[in-house]
Amino acid sequence: MTPGSTSAACAALFRRDLTLAWRRRGDIAMPVLYAVIVTTLFPFALGPEAALLARISGGVVLVTVLLAILLALDSLFRSDIDDGSLEQLMLAPQPLALLLGVKILAHWLTAAAPLIVVAPVLASMLRMPANVIPALIAALVLATPLLSLLGAVLVALTAGTRRSGMLLALMLLPLCVPVVIFAAGAVAAAQEGLPWVAPIAWLGAALALALVLAPMACAAALRIAMDA
Amino acid sequence: MRAAESANVLIEARALTYSRQDEVVFGPIDFAIHAGDIALIEGDNGSGKTTLMRILTGMLHTDEGELIFEGAPYTRDTTAGAIVFLGHHLGLKLDLSARENLHVAEGLYGRRDGADPLGVLTSVGLAGYEDEPVQRLSAGQKKRAALARLLLVPARVWLLDEPYANLDRDGIALVNRLLGEHAARGGAALVTSHGAVSFAGDEPRRIRLHA
Repeated sequence: MTPGSTSAACAALFRRDLTLAWRRRGDIAMPVLYAVIVTTLFPFALGPEAALLARISGGVVLVTVLLAILLALDSLFRSDIDDGSLEQLMLAPQPLALLLGVKILAHWLTAAAPLIVVAPVLASMLRMPANVIPALIAALVLATPLLSLLGAVLVALTAGTRRSGMLLALMLLPLCVPVVIFAAGAVAAAQEGLPWVAPIAWLGAALALALVLAPMACAAALRIAMDA
Repeated sequence: MRAAESANVLIEARALTYSRQDEVVFGPIDFAIHAGDIALIEGDNGSGKTTLMRILTGMLHTDEGELIFEGAPYTRDTTAGAIVFLGHHLGLKLDLSARENLHVAEGLYGRRDGADPLGVLTSVGLAGYEDEPVQRLSAGQKKRAALARLLLVPARVWLLDEPYANLDRDGIALVNRLLGEHAARGGAALVTSHGAVSFAGDEPRRIRLHA
């Protein structure tokens, strides 16, 4: 790879973000810890009745994991804006949308991938039947990047404002709802022994759309945020 | 002669003005920066030095006046990769070492012929600190780590916003030396300063902003 080529730029940025995440591993552990704590508390609050836990397991794990991702979302561009790295990205002779796509991918890998790994464990702790777990994993594998991409656009839109956390949460809610509906729909169908491919396909379609459009929207939003 | 001169113009501003909410921040100003020029942007605090810098990076837009880069309108496509910016925020990742920061810059901007990360760190006086996290460097050393980026990437135009801040006497001499070498290579630089430091070489081109 010649330095300065687009692939070299993406590789350098990807490595940078993964290295940074690794140097601050404590921050990666936060969302996982949050998800573990919340799901552990449910049996204590609702009682250990196996049938009840099995019925709510899908919803609880999905919502907890998606909320845990939202926790990490705010930090996506924050440090880059604060230390001037974003200006360096914007002036680089590479398409900004592509670079931001790489950043979102790195963020998803560090924030969401560990959650997808622990999700089956949390689900079996809530007595989810083993034959439902594949549906849960499929739903999470598609729903988490979708949420990261949608969230990234909103983080970019609110980048110019200080303390944007509240605004971000409000704007994200309506975007979360369809993601949760389709993901939970797949898990519920699997629990009842019905085919669960259709809601997964919807998630996949939405993800394909977001993969193309969200980085471009992010780039435009960040350029507007910096142009003030 | 005139044709040759206009061919050498890197950045030209004509009646450039910037207003924020109908209040003029600076301008109208006119200037032309040729290859080999080092220009000092002078002005008091609040006179719009940093604003002018951000306009020259292309991040901030103004509808008043004209900016031209090598005879073409000033857009992302025409300036891509030709400009490197060093602002108040240095663009360094504090958790990474100076060398790792340079690898990122190299990946994004490419590498100047004959430059390499270790070499440029030595020439800004950071030999021995290459693998130290930037976090643990002093403010002046951080500035030097950011200056190393200028030497590594192939951009012809340097936009330096207050490059002398936080630097000791040697550091100021270093910036002046780097600017001199850059000009000799045919590069150009715009430097802001509130005028407290002795500037490189003989009489530089001055762009004056008034509050």
